[in-house]
Amino acid sequence: MAYSNKVIDHYENPRNVGSLPKDNPNVGTGLVGAPECGDVMKLQVQVNPETGVIDDAKFKTFGCGSAIASSSLATEWLKGKTVDQALAIKNTDIVTELSLPPVKIHCSVLAEDAIKAAINDYKKKQSVTAKTVAAQEKAQPTV
Amino acid sequence: MISETTAPTIQECRWCGAGAPADASFCPQCTKILPLPRRRDYFTFLGVPRRLNIDPADLEQRFRDRSRQFHPDYFYNAPLAERRASLERSSYLNDAYRTLKQPIARIAYLLELEGALTPADKAAGAGATKVVPPGLLEEVFALNEELDEVRDLRSGGASKDEWTARLQRARQPIEDKRAEHERRIAEVSRQWDALLGRPAGDAERAGVLQALGELMLERNYITNLLAGIERELSQ
Ligand code: FES
Repeated sequence: MAYSNKVIDHYENPRNVGSLPKDNPNVGTGLVGAPECGDVMKLQVQVNPETGVIDDAKFKTFGCGSAIASSSLATEWLKGKTVDQALAIKNTDIVTELSLPPVKIHCSVLAEDAIKAAINDYKKKQSVTAKTVAAQEKAQPTV
Repeated sequence: MISETTAPTIQECRWCGAGAPADASFCPQCTKILPLPRRRDYFTFLGVPRRLNIDPADLEQRFRDRSRQFHPDYFYNAPLAERRASLERSSYLNDAYRTLKQPIARIAYLLELEGALTPADKAAGAGATKVVPPGLLEEVFALNEELDEVRDLRSGGASKDEWTARLQRARQPIEDKRAEHERRIAEVSRQWDALLGRPAGDAERAGVLQALGELMLERNYITNLLAGIERELSQ
């Protein structure tokens, strides 16, 4: 099967490989896997809490070329988007951009799942932080 | 509601119109070979219940008996339709035996048959990421990173002993996991078989099938990881 030029480009020069501090409350981490091939993908976003805009994104994928290209492309797209815009990214957008053949669609699904997982993780962290802050404020009544 | 495990109990002989038991291969009336029934499954075809623990000797005996009965050589002079029935039965029989003979293929087939994991699901990977326990994904990820480091070590000129030792250390927990996983599969398989022996609710059956399906997905990761380690070790 021939990979498209865009896939090869992302595969040979992956953008944004690496990781962000997992415990930072502004960082969301998504770790997903495709059991049918055993591939795994980790994708992280860092959100500016003031603006709600993603200012950094990193990934690390152990998988096929299409999975690497899909996650690399996803991190490029994520930067500069708001959290809600990020959730609107569909795997079909990735398929179109990279001209993935039908057998490689699940690789793009993996990337979409990773984005969702990362954003959900971020949101969960934020609500926990908000709750602790609220609880602390309650615990210390203002005089 | 008709339970999925109850296959139809009767078929009609297309030659003489007599009724025949669903798992019969020859019409009890006119003795002609029956065409493959439209609704069929490997278990019924081999005359065994939909259980996961199957006696291999018994299964093999059933396979041999049937393969003799259906053998196309016996139908050499028969009319075309009967020849075709013999060919179809022989090839279906081979598929059935090959599948039911292996415990893992048997589970996969059962899941498909019970509609718990359709081939379409597998192709789309739909929902698959959700059911694999996150802990396992983390281990898979960490081990892949370890393999990456071993490759770096090797290309950096480290001695074979050094990186082999690391791979062996990495392999141990996965081997343990596989052993544990096999125990779980055996246990849930026994649960399924026990359900067949008594009237069980759909929810209970679905629960066991779901557990089996999840175990099968996990299995892919474990198998892959071990294959990855083997690949590095053989460098
Ligand atoms: S083949 Fe598994 S993600 Fe592409």
